[in-house]
Amino acid sequence: MKALKMKPESLLLSLVLIVLPRSAYAYLDPGTGSYILQLLLAGLLGAAFALKIFWVKIKTFFAGLLAKRSKNE
Amino acid sequence: MFQRDGSLLRQVNYLYKEHYDQLKSSGLYNELVSSGLLIPHNEVDIQHAASDQAYKVIRPDLIPFISYPYEWCFSQLKDAALTTIEIQKKAFEFGMSLKDCSAYNIQFRNARPIFIDTLSFEKYREGEPWIAYRQFCQHFLAPLALMSYRDIRLSQLLRIYIDGVPLDLVSSLLPFKTRLSFSLLSHIHLHARSQSRYADKPIGVRKKKMGKLGFRGLIDSLETTVRKLKWKTQFTEWADYYEDTNYSPGAFQHKKDLVAEFLDNVRPKTVWDLGGNIGVFSRIASDRGIQTICFDIDPGAVEKHYQDCSQDGEAPILPLVLDLTNPSPGTGWQNDERLSLQKRGPADMIFALALIHHLAISNNLPFERIAEFFSQICSYMIIEFVSKNDSQVQRLLASREDIFKDYNQQTFEAVFKNYFSIESSARIVDSDRTFYLMRRKGD
Repeated sequence: MKALKMKPESLLLSLVLIVLPRSAYAYLDPGTGSYILQLLLAGLLGAAFALKIFWVKIKTFFAGLLAKRSKNE
Repeated sequence: MFQRDGSLLRQVNYLYKEHYDQLKSSGLYNELVSSGLLIPHNEVDIQHAASDQAYKVIRPDLIPFISYPYEWCFSQLKDAALTTIEIQKKAFEFGMSLKDCSAYNIQFRNARPIFIDTLSFEKYREGEPWIAYRQFCQHFLAPLALMSYRDIRLSQLLRIYIDGVPLDLVSSLLPFKTRLSFSLLSHIHLHARSQSRYADKPIGVRKKKMGKLGFRGLIDSLETTVRKLKWKTQFTEWADYYEDTNYSPGAFQHKKDLVAEFLDNVRPKTVWDLGGNIGVFSRIASDRGIQTICFDIDPGAVEKHYQDCSQDGEAPILPLVLDLTNPSPGTGWQNDERLSLQKRGPADMIFALALIHHLAISNNLPFERIAEFFSQICSYMIIEFVSKNDSQVQRLLASREDIFKDYNQQTFEAVFKNYFSIESSARIVDSDRTFYLMRRKGD
């Protein structure tokens, strides 16, 4: 039953890869697969990265707030 | 890359002019060099150019000893990967990106990784994916994942595959649980699938762009994935060697004193410590400012040694994994892209301490062949003869028939005298061992 443990985003990515568009416009080098995968991952990883930065900012904000408060006390 | 008057020069062609200029004018070069991430270089007179395509000719600082990824322990490869990522992140801040991500672009100087390919930077073009993504995965992420999840010895696949381990092979070797990690699933397993799906097909995708955020997200994800990879089994054959020896403290100190004395007599510039374990004797050389390479067959011992070096700060020492009975060969095009161990020598001095019995008895090598090989890789040698009465030799003989009639001190000296002159020798106190300082004949 290990397969059930698969995270939803992993499953989504597998599905995306299966239904990948095949519209042709140019010949790409043997690194084509690496190129295409990056384009697919970009959205997900970009969003995750944005969240991570946002989260760090929130943490820094509250840490700053707490530091200020303890200083005032 | 070419040699002139004993120094190594690189030509920057006009084709690369705009990228080179940006590297220098943007401040990226200074930033990387001052943080010790990139090898510094001087621009030399253009008359040294090898062809009329030359825009500049540069002379990079030399690395004392070129090592290869299949000679690195787990943490060395991991540090090399993280250094590459750090450079890529800095380059991105300055509007540039790495176009190559070969592990061979990293070398170790004073046990710290440094990037040596000054001409790997190109201007970042917005919308383009990371051209070096495939190489990063094959050279760094894939072997690290194999070493971490499957077996530490799989680093040796890098010796066979010069452009990194093919991802389909890695995908088939990794355990199933790696498919449950989103990052390993995407960067290795789906990456392999995607490569085979689009291999040699004259197809493309719609003109899709990869934004800056996606680009940074990809680099961040690779960094996090590499950071999470650990090598858990630290306990190997030799890593606990010094807790399991037959030396008395007096004998151990005597050995150290002799090494120091011989080093001070000869004053070599380079030392190779063969079978140097966690570098106890290597340290005596590196403490004197001598460029020292400490080779050992055991990845656990090399790992421990490397971590000790990283903690101790900058010292001219480099621990490497090497099987002396099958040392790194010349590989790549014309067997000349990556040099054999022998071609990277000779060293001014080698240490062969507590080694001879392993070569002669465990590996059944005649003294003649051992002496011959050693004479090809050094000018001076400190070698320890371990007699048959020694408990370590007895341990080796316990599991095999004693067919080693010639394994005695007289024969050892007689054979080695064909290649070396014995400059000095001393019996180690409280033991059946003798230290020799030998000099290669003809030097």
